[in-house]
Amino acid sequence: MDGLMDKTIEAFNRFFESVLQYLTNILSFILIIAVGLVLGHLLKVLSNKFFKLIKVDAHSERSEVTEMLNRGGITEPISSLLSKAVGWITVFVFFIIALGALEVPKVETLLGEFFVYVPNILVAIVVVFLGYMLSNFVGRTVLIACVNAGMKSSGLISKLARAGVLILTASMALEQLGIGRETTVMAFTIIFGGVVLTLSLAFGLGGKDIAREYLESKCKRPEEGVKEQKEDEISHL
Amino acid sequence: MEAKTAAKKKAKTTKKKQVAPPVITAPPPASEECAKSAVLRKEVHESLEEIKKADILVGIPSYNNGSTIGHVARAVQAGLAKYFPDMRSVLVNSDGGSTDNTVCAFQDAVVEDFNSLFIPHRVSPLMKINTPYHGIPGKGSAFRTIFEIAKELDVKACVVVDSDLRSITPEWIDLLLSPILKEGFDFVAPYYLRHKFDGTITNSIVYPVTRALYGKQIRQPIGGDFGFTGELAKFYLKDESVWESDIARFGVDIWMTTTAVANGFKVCQSFLGAKIHAAKEPSSDLSDMLREVVGVLFDLMAKYEDKWSEVEGSEPTEMYGFRYEVGLEPIHVDIERMIDKFVLGREELGSIWQAALPAELIWYLHSLEPSPWQEFRLPADMWADIIYNFAIAYHNTDVNKTHLLKSLTPLYLARVASFINEALNANADEVEKILEDACLKFEEKKAYLAENWDR
Repeated sequence: MDGLMDKTIEAFNRFFESVLQYLTNILSFILIIAVGLVLGHLLKVLSNKFFKLIKVDAHSERSEVTEMLNRGGITEPISSLLSKAVGWITVFVFFIIALGALEVPKVETLLGEFFVYVPNILVAIVVVFLGYMLSNFVGRTVLIACVNAGMKSSGLISKLARAGVLILTASMALEQLGIGRETTVMAFTIIFGGVVLTLSLAFGLGGKDIAREYLESKCKRPEEGVKEQKEDEISHL
Repeated sequence: MEAKTAAKKKAKTTKKKQVAPPVITAPPPASEECAKSAVLRKEVHESLEEIKKADILVGIPSYNNGSTIGHVARAVQAGLAKYFPDMRSVLVNSDGGSTDNTVCAFQDAVVEDFNSLFIPHRVSPLMKINTPYHGIPGKGSAFRTIFEIAKELDVKACVVVDSDLRSITPEWIDLLLSPILKEGFDFVAPYYLRHKFDGTITNSIVYPVTRALYGKQIRQPIGGDFGFTGELAKFYLKDESVWESDIARFGVDIWMTTTAVANGFKVCQSFLGAKIHAAKEPSSDLSDMLREVVGVLFDLMAKYEDKWSEVEGSEPTEMYGFRYEVGLEPIHVDIERMIDKFVLGREELGSIWQAALPAELIWYLHSLEPSPWQEFRLPADMWADIIYNFAIAYHNTDVNKTHLLKSLTPLYLARVASFINEALNANADEVEKILEDACLKFEEKKAYLAENWDR
């Protein structure tokens, strides 16, 4: 009889201990989330002031990041966006820590996998950012060079150059994230090959006369080739 | 009779001695020596120790100028023999690794017959040094080597002349050196007669801006052929960092002139007659040339802000030499093509121009009618606004400076086209009047530049 009572009490004790443990975990979870929310808000305010101090908005305007965001319907200043991102990242980190406090085995496994994957996301973000900046630089360089060379299709050529860098960037970022690794490489190869083939055909068929004139002007002597456009004889210096 | 024969023999011997001046050639540097100063390189150093000291140094920068450098070297030799026969002189060719016969042409260049030029026997020998320069490929790096040799030899006066000149005469050496050696000037800028459409970067940007900023009317601030004291050559070498910039390229001419003017050196001009040179500048790309020259001009504006901000108006610079008129060969220009490039730039480069130009100026540029091309005009006051706003943007904004300067090319071509239209039927004096009016606009609008410089 005593044994039965002991076992019953022990079961209850275990139950209450489990409930207590669970309640402690939940309280810890809530407390961590609350601290995260407060800290996130604080960091958001502080980082907003910092970004304004270092004139992030002006820099982003000059580097055309603002223009890109406006095109996507985002009109908020970049300093506000970045400070919000800082705040939410803080909250997110605290949420992850809070989840760990719940001590649920499945969640812990998922968290482990997530933390292994996080560096890939960060690298992909950096790749996209640098790729975007590079595409702007390349696009503008090509545009100015084409305009100064007097090429009528300067805008199109610069857009193609910019798109090329962006496609390369996207494929690198996707490969980093492990999304359709083989598919991405294949897609890029197919698109790039297709573009080159299209341009070759376009130049070969559509521009065969220009190509002939160009080659003749390069290979033949002046009297043999077509009449050359006379260069300016001004000495600029 | 015997005495006469002996005198003739002596004259012949003397003539032979004059024909072959000693040539000291430094071979191309070994890779580990590239980083060293030119004068520290063994071969050049040994040559300089042998020469020890000289009175005059004439430097000729070159890169693939085999067809013209011989003529330039001969004119210099004749000039030195005729006007400075008793001074120890050194002729230096600073070459950028020419792949044609430039080096041989320089070494072989000798005046065949001094007597036919009525030049008496030289008292002092002329030394020739041929050396490759190091550093960034360009005219400025070649000049740096020349300055270093001048410093090492402690010369009294230096002259630099371009190696592509076809119109140089022995008198140029006299005109570039005499103001220094006889009149006490520190820097002699050239004054040429050029075709009215030649020297367009000079006429439309460098001359008006330099004149308005520093108050000295130096007509050819980037002429390329200068005379200066040995002390000024040493002064040019004081700041090592400049040789890593565009000053090492085409920017060296405006840098030399501005440095001399802004630092209070005594400056004058010498009338050299016509300037005719080989067809093309070594660098083929106009926008690169424009970027290098205008970039250095704008950089110097920042460096000498305290100097130019105090200057009002401008004053003539003393001129030496006998002025005369010459006939110049007509040159071909395609105005329509220039206007086409401006229109293309107006359509495509708006976003870059917005970083430099105020909205009303951009609106004005859009209002310009490209046809008929004969009536196309970009007035001097608008042009002054454009240049000053680009200078302010270059100084203040974070826009890529290369992009900013290269985007100036279509606007520059618009101004050149406008100027050619304006001066199409004008004679030399009328052209100078047009340029004078443009310069006055730059002087009038200088207050705007000063007010907005640190915006």
